[in-house]
Amino acid sequence: MEALLQLLFNGLSVGAVYALFALGYTLVFSVLGVINFAHGAIFTLGAYFTYFLIGGAVGANGLMAGLQLPFALPFWLALPLAGLGAAAVALVLERIAFRPLRDRGSDPLLALITSLGAGVILVNLIQLLVGAESYSIPVETLESLPVALSIAGAKVRTVQVMLLAIAGLLLAALSIWIDGSRSGKALQAVSEDPITAQLLGINSGRMIQIAFGISGFLAGVAGGLVGLSVSIAGPYFGIGYGLKGLGVLVLGGLGSVPGAVLGGLIIGLAEACVPAELSGYKDAVSFGFLFLVLLIRPQGLLGRPQANKV
Amino acid sequence: MVALTGNASLIGQDQRIGLELAESEFGGSTPALSVRLEDGGSDEQTATTAFRRLLQQPVVALIGPSLSQQAFAVNPIADPAGVPVLGASNTAIGIPQIGPFVSRISAPVSKVAPLSIQAAKRLNPKLERVAVFFAQDDAYSTSETKIFQKSIQGLGLKLVTVQRTSTADIDFQKPIADTLQTRPDLIVISALPNDGGNLVRQLREMGYAGLIAAGNGMNSPNIYSVCQRYCDGLLIAQAYSPEAKTAVNRRFVQLYQKQRGGTAPPQFTAQAYAAMQVIHEALTRLDRQESLRSQSRNQALATMALPELRRALNTILLQGTYDTPLGEIRFTPEGEVIQKDFYVARVKMDAKGKTGRFALLPNPSPATP
Repeated sequence: MEALLQLLFNGLSVGAVYALFALGYTLVFSVLGVINFAHGAIFTLGAYFTYFLIGGAVGANGLMAGLQLPFALPFWLALPLAGLGAAAVALVLERIAFRPLRDRGSDPLLALITSLGAGVILVNLIQLLVGAESYSIPVETLESLPVALSIAGAKVRTVQVMLLAIAGLLLAALSIWIDGSRSGKALQAVSEDPITAQLLGINSGRMIQIAFGISGFLAGVAGGLVGLSVSIAGPYFGIGYGLKGLGVLVLGGLGSVPGAVLGGLIIGLAEACVPAELSGYKDAVSFGFLFLVLLIRPQGLLGRPQANKV
Repeated sequence: MVALTGNASLIGQDQRIGLELAESEFGGSTPALSVRLEDGGSDEQTATTAFRRLLQQPVVALIGPSLSQQAFAVNPIADPAGVPVLGASNTAIGIPQIGPFVSRISAPVSKVAPLSIQAAKRLNPKLERVAVFFAQDDAYSTSETKIFQKSIQGLGLKLVTVQRTSTADIDFQKPIADTLQTRPDLIVISALPNDGGNLVRQLREMGYAGLIAAGNGMNSPNIYSVCQRYCDGLLIAQAYSPEAKTAVNRRFVQLYQKQRGGTAPPQFTAQAYAAMQVIHEALTRLDRQESLRSQSRNQALATMALPELRRALNTILLQGTYDTPLGEIRFTPEGEVIQKDFYVARVKMDAKGKTGRFALLPNPSPATP
């Protein structure tokens, strides 16, 4: 029982981050039909923004070496602000890497390539400005809380519980907004058919911007939370999560919000089930699992089969 | 060529300082020596591109790469080209055997790694159960863990679990939870500074209070920012002591402290400095030898064709004995370093957990020839 609970905690805390990450992909995919490959870079930016907002200084390398903000915010304030900063960058990306192609009616594949290019430029820009070294949010940030919790014999780091709770709250808030609000329903309408939605008086362009903004916010918050849990391992920090997020997106079903959540949790749990002697192969195990699921359900767990017009 | 980007950049940064200090120390003397620094990244592909770029330039020798994993990929390119490659941080077994132009001044894991296990046993004589973590996608880590595991068994200790990780991993909650169930008295880690530092931090946060011994990949003050106050108590075997009382080491420490403040130089910096010193001294001897042979008073090396110069440098480099900050070193004909002095340090963090030092344990291990 204790071992099962431990496995559940390990899987859910990792899976919640994957889900949060994949939701950003999902939102953009649902309205544009393309995967935003710059999402990993936005996640990385969120981690850096959080680090600098709580008073962290730039290291010895990079053009901004030694710089530090003149104030230090508490983590609870820095995290949403970092999310907003990441959302702002996502909106800029939408403006320069996606909208020009959309306005010209270009093939969605081109937007995929421009997003990849934008992601690479962002990562290199981070490296140029703050260097390639790793940064860490001080362990004292959560000093008022115990370092780890023991729940029914299972041990879990407090930061992981917090990560799980915040990810859960954000996922719930997003689901309520999508299903229960006028703008959420408008987003669903745009994802169904942007032209029909436009004819019905919905501003599709505006809804796409909202999707990018929320996607960037989620990535930024996820980056800040992961940065608190582990060190920010340089500008390429988000790449691993980006790959895993893609897997989650496909497993859950392209464009499906509940699918992204379910996919994230399943991949997290699948990794937690990998035995110790195979622990270095956990990525292979989770992607192998994804492969098997797709053989049976090519549309993903909660995705809809694509109907081709003839 | 050192890793200035990627997850080994924490090692590369230390090495860069050593190379720059050596250039300032030896660059002005005859024969003049200058460093052409290339970023080899932390992967084989970037290192290969950087090595090929350097090979196209009139360089007399190459120092690097930072990782053993990269050395196995790039040294087979440099060796047939007849360019001497001197490894300053590669410790995996089999590197000097890549070819006649490949040598190293970084002592192999087989000489250094067992010392920290022995030190742990001295600190806790009741120690019985040992857990091992290693990054399975890294040649140095996989090489070092074999030595660690052999050493653990050699001391009659019980290996309770072996956890395989990856150098890209940062979240270790799952393997730590599995490991803690085996109730280890000692945890031994072979990893790089970033993944290893995160592992140490998370082990302590999850409540592990026993001894931790780390391998050479984490032998850098750059781990302080990753594991922060949880770095305290970490045991790491050393191929360098800043406290060595030789004139050459005192000079090196003085140069380092002038540039970096009062802190003691780390091992990777000392090894990079020593690598440049070895090349400089070998070139000086070659210059003298050639001047005598050609009865020319100066510019003897400048008259040599580059392939001939590289070949002669490699030969004379392997024959010499060098008084470096690492102590007296020389080479086997195969290019393996022969070093006398090794130590074990215990990381001591300051009260705020922001910075620390590698405090040498009082009874350094006897020389291992």
